[in-house]
Amino acid sequence: MSDASATNKRAQREAAGPYGKIGQTLNELDDRLGIAKGGRTFMDKIFPDHWSFMLGEIALYSFVILLVTGVFLTLYFVPSVATVIYHGPYKPMDGQRVTEAWDSTMNISFTVRGGLLMRQMHHWACDIFVGAIVVHMARVFFTGAFRKPRELNWTIGLTLLILAIGNGFLGYSLPDDLVSGTGIRIAYSIMESIPFVGSYLAFWVFGGNFPGTATIPRFFILHVLILPLVILGLVGGHLFLLVRQKHTQFPGKGRTEKNVVGSPMFPVFIAKTTGFLFIVGGITALLGAFAQINPIWQFGPYDAARISYAVQPDWYMGFLDGALRIWPSWSFMGFGHTIPLEVFIPAVILPGIIFNVAYLWPLLERKFTKDNEIHHLLDRPSDRPKRTAFGVAVLVFLAMLHIASSTDVIANFFHLSLESTLWGMRILVIVTPIIAYPLAYKICKEMQSYRGGGKRKTPNIVSRTAEGEYVATPTPAYGEDVGHELDATPVPTYIEVEPDEPVESGVRTVDR
Amino acid sequence: MNSSLFRRVPLIVASGAFVAAPLLLFAGSANASNNILQTTRKNAGTPNSTIVVKNKSGTVIKYGNKYITYKAPSSKLDTLGQALFMENCASCHGSEADGVPANGTNGAYPDLVGLGPATITFWIDSGRMPAKNVAAIQARRGQPALTSTQAVAIAAWVNSLLPGYPDIPTPHLKNANVADGAALFALNCASCHTIEGDGDALAASTFSPSLRNIPAFQVVEAIRTGPGNMPRFTGNLSDQQVADITKYVTTEIQHPNNPGGFGLGGLGPVAEGFVGLLVGLGLLMLVCYWIGDRS
Ligand code: HEC
Ligand code: HEC
Repeated sequence: MSDASATNKRAQREAAGPYGKIGQTLNELDDRLGIAKGGRTFMDKIFPDHWSFMLGEIALYSFVILLVTGVFLTLYFVPSVATVIYHGPYKPMDGQRVTEAWDSTMNISFTVRGGLLMRQMHHWACDIFVGAIVVHMARVFFTGAFRKPRELNWTIGLTLLILAIGNGFLGYSLPDDLVSGTGIRIAYSIMESIPFVGSYLAFWVFGGNFPGTATIPRFFILHVLILPLVILGLVGGHLFLLVRQKHTQFPGKGRTEKNVVGSPMFPVFIAKTTGFLFIVGGITALLGAFAQINPIWQFGPYDAARISYAVQPDWYMGFLDGALRIWPSWSFMGFGHTIPLEVFIPAVILPGIIFNVAYLWPLLERKFTKDNEIHHLLDRPSDRPKRTAFGVAVLVFLAMLHIASSTDVIANFFHLSLESTLWGMRILVIVTPIIAYPLAYKICKEMQSYRGGGKRKTPNIVSRTAEGEYVATPTPAYGEDVGHELDATPVPTYIEVEPDEPVESGVRTVDR
Repeated sequence: MNSSLFRRVPLIVASGAFVAAPLLLFAGSANASNNILQTTRKNAGTPNSTIVVKNKSGTVIKYGNKYITYKAPSSKLDTLGQALFMENCASCHGSEADGVPANGTNGAYPDLVGLGPATITFWIDSGRMPAKNVAAIQARRGQPALTSTQAVAIAAWVNSLLPGYPDIPTPHLKNANVADGAALFALNCASCHTIEGDGDALAASTFSPSLRNIPAFQVVEAIRTGPGNMPRFTGNLSDQQVADITKYVTTEIQHPNNPGGFGLGGLGPVAEGFVGLLVGLGLLMLVCYWIGDRS
């Protein structure tokens, strides 16, 4: 009896094949969808491993968190500026005339279960999202990962950054609190500053005069539907290209332009990256739970007659605010119009230049280096001192603009006068990049020679002069050991050795 | 914000007030002292007094209403006050308190005559006076060098030279409405002191101080007397409104409601950016470094 059931079971198991029920189900699926081949290729996809390759994943996963928490918030948020009288649990605002947008955000914060946590996680995830994009882009820039054939992905990434900043600003504006309302006012004025078309453009975008009733509903649709969809699509394209072109890798033992060395998607990479998703979620949740962000109840509702001093935007808009603050007040009057260059230049022209140079960078670099090769091996930043120094100078410039957006806080904290802080920032914004460039260049050069750290020592020739004095003269380095700036050669010389075996366990080498 | 107020007042009175208010304002510009809504510099803090207490000789020693009462310093303290003034203040403000520097000193020192007792006590109680650094563009708050009784005595003597207002206030905050105070604060004060009351740098090395640690009566004194570069809020804020603001400042500003966790010093996006980038992104990058390859 028991014997018979055992054989029965065994027969069943054998019929199911080596992978049991799961294998069977997959077989059934494959019969219908033909997923096995693609799935196999995907599971065998090789991902080169380096910690800096995971920065983009931070951005990806904080975007996932943004989507999830954002959907939650959308369930409760009311995108309307119709006025209501606030009667919620937060007593200091009781009986105030507020907009429904503000009222519903208060409702999320104080009444909806878990609402405040979701709001705060959403906001922190946004701060991290944009930050992760920036550091990821810095990695891509400094290692030359944007070079042929990946220019398109650089372009997509940059577009994602701009959209992320834009959507962050829109979301920041939605609660319609005193601080964000001031931000919208500034955005309106920036748009108005564009010569000739400005006022028409502002009217068109904001649906009339400031503050108007159309702003919040329009921002809402853009923020929760249109921009997320575009971002999602671009992220899809970004990842598709990444998988298609295979990831770049740092030069090293066994790594060439023609192969990819790394961990396969399954089981190594998938485990790592899923774990990382949870870590990103966990850290965002911790921040959301313990660090307060954007306490709109302390700000109160927006009202064009009220204003708070010391209003700053979220960090990723800081460079714009800083540029606005420190730009000298040049405005041009003529032809019956005022052209406010003090707004137009720092808030429109300047970001225009910065982002356009960034878009064109792969092209520009090709022009200068005349390097039209396909690159899968990354540069070490120190091997491209000029590019690295330029990137550092631009980052320093942006960081200084960012610091300039808190001139008042700095002046107050260090007991300085606001004017001298302003002038100090004006000077620093110009001087620090000029210092940063040669400094970064020099450091790169030093690092190049340090990398040859193991190179042979050269003898010192000690000689005695006729007077009895000893003089030590170092002999020049051996020709092969002299550190030299690598020119834009397609394949760096030191990778010529081509070992045939994978270097570590769990690491595979496949052809591109 | 005004709805609760209007609900209490009968409709007729309300509509009457609507008609009267612009007229009163008009009259006020012509002859300020006739109009209770438009008080002059010297009688700020006197409007709408429902309580007026006079002494035997007929001088007002206490006035106010259920929101704030103002108390005049006793004239008995005059002589003590004069002595204290000569000792602590006359070197700068002159022995007549008229701002003419005493012999051997120079510089521009404000005339204190007729400023009213609350101004004098505010500057002493907040530790601004006697000034520690005459060259400073704006005197800073600090430990008071004199006791509050000594401050009242000095106020009594200065006030005896030329009586002025406001007298020394005592707010009764249990009658005040914190929600109205929040709205009035956003409207009148946030433009300098920031919406969270942290204060900030103003032009030409002046600054608006933080309101996080100011006792209620000094908040009233500041609003009614307008220290330094702060405007003097007189007729445009009633005693009820001043009490509302004071209640908001001493409750929500000084003990902010932070249900979301650490308040990050009320510095807003500046601190948030730091935390988001250094703590959030920084930790995540460390995790990358930890689980990623470091070749
Ligand atoms: C070392 C010089 C000095 C001494 C001593 C001094 N003061 Fe002053 N006082 C000043 C200066 C300077 C100002 C202007 C400060 C400012 O505007 O920040 C001032 C301002 C004031 C004001 C504000 C006047 C206004 O128009 O608002 C008052 C009130 C005052 N002092 C009272 C006193 C009293 C009372 C004493 C004695 C306890 C005193 N001061 C001692 C230098 C002095
Ligand atoms: C135009 C800007 C401005 C406005 C508006 C303003 N203040 Fe001030 N306030 C100041 C300045 C400047 C000082 C410091 C004066 C000094 O020390 O010389 C100050 C000082 C104070 C102080 C004293 C703080 C201390 O350190 O002792 C209090 C309290 C205060 N303000 C409350 C208020 C309240 C309440 C309101 C709204 C009704 C208000 N302020 C509106 C600029 C302003």
